[in-house]
Amino acid sequence: MSNKLHIAVARRFWCCAVRRARFVLFPTLTALLLTGCGGGLQSVLNPSGPQSEHISGLWWFMLITCTIVFVLVMILLFAAVVKGRKGFPDPIAPPEKETRESERRRGVVVAVATAITIAILFVFIVDSFFVGRGMTAELDRKQGINIEVTGHQWWWEVRYQDVDASSIFTTANEIHIPVGVPVTFSLKANDVIHSFWVPNLHGKKDLIPGKISTIWLQADKPGIYRGQCAEYCGHQHAHMALWIFAEPREQFDAWRRAQIQSAASPATASEQRGQQVFLSSACVMCHAINGTPAGSNFGPNLTHLASRKTIAAATLPNDRQHLAQWVDDSQQIKPGNRMPPNKFSPEDMQALLDYLQSLK
Amino acid sequence: MSTRPVIDVSELPHHGFDTLDTIWWGNNLLLAIETSMFVLLIATYFYLRQNFELWPPPLAQLTAPLDPLPDLGFGTANAILLLISCAPMIWADVSARRGSQSGTQRGLLICLLIGFVAMVLRGFEFRAVKFRWDSNAYGSIVWFILGMHMLHLLTVTCETLLLTGWSFVREFDMKHRVDITALAVYWYWVVGIWMVLYAVVYFAPRVS
Amino acid sequence: MTEITGTAGVPPASRNASTEVTAKPSNSAFHEVGRDGRDPSEDEREIKELERVWACPPGIYGWFTDTDHKAIALRYVVTAFVFFLFGGIEALLMRIQLARPESHFLSPDLYNQVFTVHGTTMMFLFAVPIMTAVGIYLVPLMVGTRDVAFPRLNNYGYFVYLIGGILLYVSFFLNTGPDAGWFAYVPLSGPGYSPGKRVDIWAQMISFTEISALSGAVVVIGTVFKMRAPGMSLHRLPLFVWAQLVTSFMIIFAMPAVMLASSLLASDRLIDTHFFNPAEGGDAILYQHMFWFFGHPEVYIIFIPALGFVSSIVITFSRRRIFGYTAMVLSLIATAFLGFGLWVHHMFATPLPQLGQSFFTAASMMIAIPSGVQIFCWIATMWGAKLNIKTPLLFVLGFVAIFVLGGLTGVMLASVPLDLQIHDTFFVVAHLHYVLIGGAVFPLFGAFYFWFPKWTGRMLSERLGKWNFWLMFIGFNLVFFPMHQLGLKGMPRRVYTYLPETGWASLNLLASLGALVLGIGVLIFIVNFFWARRFGAVAGPNPWGADTLEWSLTSPPPAYNFQRIPVVEGRNALWDQSTEAPVVVGLSSTKRETLVSSVVDAVPELRYELPGPSIWPLLLALATAETFIVGIFTPWAFLVGAVLTFAVFVGWFFGNPNYENVDAKQPPDETNFASEDLRAEEA
Repeated sequence: MSNKLHIAVARRFWCCAVRRARFVLFPTLTALLLTGCGGGLQSVLNPSGPQSEHISGLWWFMLITCTIVFVLVMILLFAAVVKGRKGFPDPIAPPEKETRESERRRGVVVAVATAITIAILFVFIVDSFFVGRGMTAELDRKQGINIEVTGHQWWWEVRYQDVDASSIFTTANEIHIPVGVPVTFSLKANDVIHSFWVPNLHGKKDLIPGKISTIWLQADKPGIYRGQCAEYCGHQHAHMALWIFAEPREQFDAWRRAQIQSAASPATASEQRGQQVFLSSACVMCHAINGTPAGSNFGPNLTHLASRKTIAAATLPNDRQHLAQWVDDSQQIKPGNRMPPNKFSPEDMQALLDYLQSLK
Repeated sequence: MSTRPVIDVSELPHHGFDTLDTIWWGNNLLLAIETSMFVLLIATYFYLRQNFELWPPPLAQLTAPLDPLPDLGFGTANAILLLISCAPMIWADVSARRGSQSGTQRGLLICLLIGFVAMVLRGFEFRAVKFRWDSNAYGSIVWFILGMHMLHLLTVTCETLLLTGWSFVREFDMKHRVDITALAVYWYWVVGIWMVLYAVVYFAPRVS
Repeated sequence: MTEITGTAGVPPASRNASTEVTAKPSNSAFHEVGRDGRDPSEDEREIKELERVWACPPGIYGWFTDTDHKAIALRYVVTAFVFFLFGGIEALLMRIQLARPESHFLSPDLYNQVFTVHGTTMMFLFAVPIMTAVGIYLVPLMVGTRDVAFPRLNNYGYFVYLIGGILLYVSFFLNTGPDAGWFAYVPLSGPGYSPGKRVDIWAQMISFTEISALSGAVVVIGTVFKMRAPGMSLHRLPLFVWAQLVTSFMIIFAMPAVMLASSLLASDRLIDTHFFNPAEGGDAILYQHMFWFFGHPEVYIIFIPALGFVSSIVITFSRRRIFGYTAMVLSLIATAFLGFGLWVHHMFATPLPQLGQSFFTAASMMIAIPSGVQIFCWIATMWGAKLNIKTPLLFVLGFVAIFVLGGLTGVMLASVPLDLQIHDTFFVVAHLHYVLIGGAVFPLFGAFYFWFPKWTGRMLSERLGKWNFWLMFIGFNLVFFPMHQLGLKGMPRRVYTYLPETGWASLNLLASLGALVLGIGVLIFIVNFFWARRFGAVAGPNPWGADTLEWSLTSPPPAYNFQRIPVVEGRNALWDQSTEAPVVVGLSSTKRETLVSSVVDAVPELRYELPGPSIWPLLLALATAETFIVGIFTPWAFLVGAVLTFAVFVGWFFGNPNYENVDAKQPPDETNFASEDLRAEEA
């Protein structure tokens, strides 16, 4: 009962969060998280997809059962202590003799308690088994979309697969998915083990070098969900987050069409200069911008950088000031990350920022 | 507190063979540790095998012989030699129990010799593998198995050396006769575990 | 006495044809003797002789060579406790860092070292060694013998452990502390992603501590199986000793896995093997299997000895025989078996077949049954008894509360679907500290209060003890309870900081404040320790009226433990003793002689002479140290190590050190084989 109640309450909170998040962008996102939901965008207890819903049901069931067990054991313990609190005999005296009857009665209690334990565990085992099966059985994979996620130290490469090779595109750290459609994630790791985890939608799955793991999930409601790497992966494990944007189908399709395009050509003189700066500096060693000679995929693909809400694996808001700081010396912000500092003249930097911000 | 003697042990012996003596237990517990280790190594071997389409993988360079399977010659010779070595060790074992110093000495000397020969043969076995430890996971695990067993060969041979030395230069006392029976258990174990490892290293890749 | 004659009987004739063994006793190896009418002066002479024979050599040389299990165990306890304090300071540093979002108190590099060293310290340098250490002190006393079965192996084990701990901390202070987590998953810990020597140091430290743990296990099993006093058949073994025995067996089968895993990792790093390199057919998951095949039993290796403490304390402070002795013993054994069948629940998030996972869910949940049975039996023991509510019992009551909660969250984690959500989050951090601090550290502190009088001869202060308990109990729950909620709110483990918008700040601040309270609790223990050393009430042999044999001796016990080996008349040795305690006579007081008895019924078999103080264990430990530490830099160290080791063995075997103050023909002891095998395992 209280399980359902809680879910209902959580949902109400959730809806308010979603409604606001859809209209306001990143700066207010922060404010939103701090008020109202307090972390509800990355929470096991705010399920927004069928799988997380299943798991949360199991959680409440186990929590209530275990709480009852805990309270009962504590009552027993407490009663034993209160009963025996007074009148401990002289330690030198021989231990008191116990009656057969008391032995027998206690034996029965221990046996019953053990039997109850076994019964509860049995129910738990069966329940988890069926919840586990339910999680994988319900979604029909064929109709969904396929996304390949590759873990890097310390960001996520996201590749939208398609039967049509020209529709395949790559982005980073922000994943858009259509609402109500099952999404299959193929998970790979480029360097060390990472773990893909968006608690509002599903449990986690490890990304392991040399292996491909699969997880599929579905968002039932439009919204923004935060995820974070859940397997220790070195220095900046703490700053390896991602966002999932669950959108109505049309909105998703529009986004997808935009992402398939090559990068916008620089329009203004400053943007052109910025592109030159980009192409003639160390940037091209790691980053790709489709439609330009820059084609390395060691770092995140920047073709549509300006369409993202965040940079640095969902660590900073994607605005001019943060972008400037990041390009200049990202080591100050995320020590140990793979991007070296870049010393540009102020003019070059402004031009570069103009160019990067034009990559819608 | 007043006490009441109820058992007089002044006539009990100081040493006894097998389970009587603590050394038998210490020795066997250490062998249990080593056995766990080898079981895990064998599990590792088969686990890694799942990652290969061909086991062992085909040889990269054409200069080498085309057959990537480990050559049977030296391994088999070593296996037979080690099996044979049980005979002198049993001789030493039984002599030690009977208190026959000369029998023990001869048995141990033969074992010592066999131990050295087995280590030389093991050197050739590494070559028979045709992969280096750093060529791929197959090479790594096979070298590791051979190496770990070689280490035991070395240890058991050194121990034999020490006890042989003792039996010549010091008193052939009860304590060391018990030690020799414990050494024998170790020796049988080294031989026994090699039979399993031999089958894994040389025949597991041939049976697919 | 009738019972004694029944169990003692005639020892089985030696199975061997040895004339020497069977010839001596005519038809009975020992005979019963009546009340002996020895005058007190003879007693005094015997004690003088024993004191001389069992004395520790003087000075620093004596410290290095002593084989007295009590001295070694206390060193172990103190060393492990110092590491506990180091680990605790690291924990406080982490809590300061996490108290607020985006804190710059620790750099990510330092934080990663700190949490790795914290985990490594607590698991390998504190929890396992201190449990073994308490066992090494008490097991020989509880089974009624004069020392452990392999005293020199015991000494070697301590030095190897000490060197391993020093290695870790020296490198940590030189800023080369390991930073890949206490589990050191590949490939992060592999040659490609952890350049430098940090992980090598971790891997070699594992070798040191595991050699030490394995030596300890062999020592304990040998002692329990072969050194028990007459009358202490297996069904009369104190539960404490059962717990130590079961743990030692677990060590023997679990520790090789981590030694192998760390050796393979080291060889991947140092000589370019490819065990874990997927590009050459190696496998990252293989490492996880090996690590957790050790790692899960490890939890029980820490926890089962603590169950032994709890049983001892419950029995003493409720002044009752334990309820359901057989069920308790079977539960311990069942826990040990099941403990090996659930390592995969640490790997539910990896791509593994689902059917296999269900098996591990079932096994992981089933292990709650034996734990439950034991909790119920303890409550049943206390039920209706008059309780002596002193600090040790308080810690045990605290243990029950915390451990039950930790056990219940453990059941939740066993469920695959739920685990996928809370695995590797702060929920797990909360869970593991509930089971490890609740399940092991609370009983350990209870054990400190309980056995401190035996170890030092003085009582710890009850008043400070109550403060100590309540501050630790409240502090502990303040730190770790909020972490459950943090995990559910999405906070992953091992993050050096978090963004303000995640909403994790207030609970983290609460946890950090709790850490302060917990820290003060531990500090009070230290104060109490120093206070009691100087001003504590003199304890006398048995201040609590406890039932096991160590309480029949002076506090602290003499070097030789028992002037005469006792004959045990019941499960609760002292409570079941007749007014005139039956004892064994006939052991030499001019040699380090003790009684070796049969495994099941403890029938006397041999008068066994134990080896005395020796410098060789220390030298062997140094040879081991050379091998592993220099081995980080060059593989030639292994060759040098082999030569050094052999040289040490020659000396050990043929040498005739001054301090073997026994027969001139004192033969070397069995430890030489023992240690050599251990070394063989590692190199």
